[in-house]
Amino acid sequence: MTDGATDPALTVVIVAILASFVWRALGAVLAHRINPEGRVFRWFTCVSYAVLAGLLTRLLILPMGDLASVDLTIRVAAAGVGVAVFFLTRRNLLVGVVAGTGGFALAVALTT
Amino acid sequence: MSDIDFKTALRRGARDAIGIPAIILIGSMTGYGALAHDSGFGVGLAVLSTVLIWGLPGQIAMAELYSAGADLLAIAIAVAMANMRFFPMAVSLLPTFGAHSDTRLGRVMQAQLMSATSWAYIMRSTAPRAAHARVGYHIGFAAVCLICAAASTALGHYGASGLPQPLALALLFLNACFLLILLVDVREHPALVSIASGVVVGIPANIALPDTGLIVTGVVGGTIGFLVGEWRGRAQMDEERP
Repeated sequence: MTDGATDPALTVVIVAILASFVWRALGAVLAHRINPEGRVFRWFTCVSYAVLAGLLTRLLILPMGDLASVDLTIRVAAAGVGVAVFFLTRRNLLVGVVAGTGGFALAVALTT
Repeated sequence: MSDIDFKTALRRGARDAIGIPAIILIGSMTGYGALAHDSGFGVGLAVLSTVLIWGLPGQIAMAELYSAGADLLAIAIAVAMANMRFFPMAVSLLPTFGAHSDTRLGRVMQAQLMSATSWAYIMRSTAPRAAHARVGYHIGFAAVCLICAAASTALGHYGASGLPQPLALALLFLNACFLLILLVDVREHPALVSIASGVVVGIPANIALPDTGLIVTGVVGGTIGFLVGEWRGRAQMDEERP
């Protein structure tokens, strides 16, 4: 990409930064009015977890771009391996993630 | 645990980040750096996008849509949706910082530092409880994460051509795998119900509504988790009553 006065890549990055910042700023403004002991706060905490879970289903089951080129079975199976190893190793986060990701890389290497 | 001062909390946050979060970030941001390179972003823009977007799903959406030639509005919507989690996350994090986030600028800065990882770590029961200590912990944690992420984005950008395809794909997968395990490790009951509902609602909602599916998932799944939590809380109170 050439650098110039109207570098399209720069414009895209700025737009993407703003598109993320809007949510953070909105949250920061609303947070001021929320009582951390109250129901609204608890509801927002639950919504956060649900959004993260929804994002995860999107990343694993309905990804876009490069990851979509990998078979759904591989993505879900590798994630399952990660979770299984995590519990088998008494909740060792690192070993679980490495097992899941390693299994994914191996499966991709063997099927392409 | 709640008596530690700001500096001790800052150091503890940094120490908690040096370890698994840093390792995961280094891996996934190396993957992002390579993707940004292949999508046509210079190294400066790649690092800038990591530090200021500071949310990998949004960054990946941006890079992939840009290289696919999507128009600016489509990119803005996709990034906004991929990173909309920061809204409920900020609302459920910042009030726990108490008077330390009294100024709007202070709150916005903490919200900008926040990532799914820093949020998940500070929500754990082992994180400091006192407001001032939570602020210190969050800054220490996020600072380490940002430094690791910026450096490895640059590294991935420079090393993009030497990265075999299966490994490059696996590095993009790494972050999802980490998030998954962080979520299955959650112990609080309402949070667990919210996560389970988020998965069940998330699949059809994201298929039917590619743009707004995540908002629907959050509101429906979160409300189910919340209602179950309130109901259980009331049942427990009734039991404890003599």
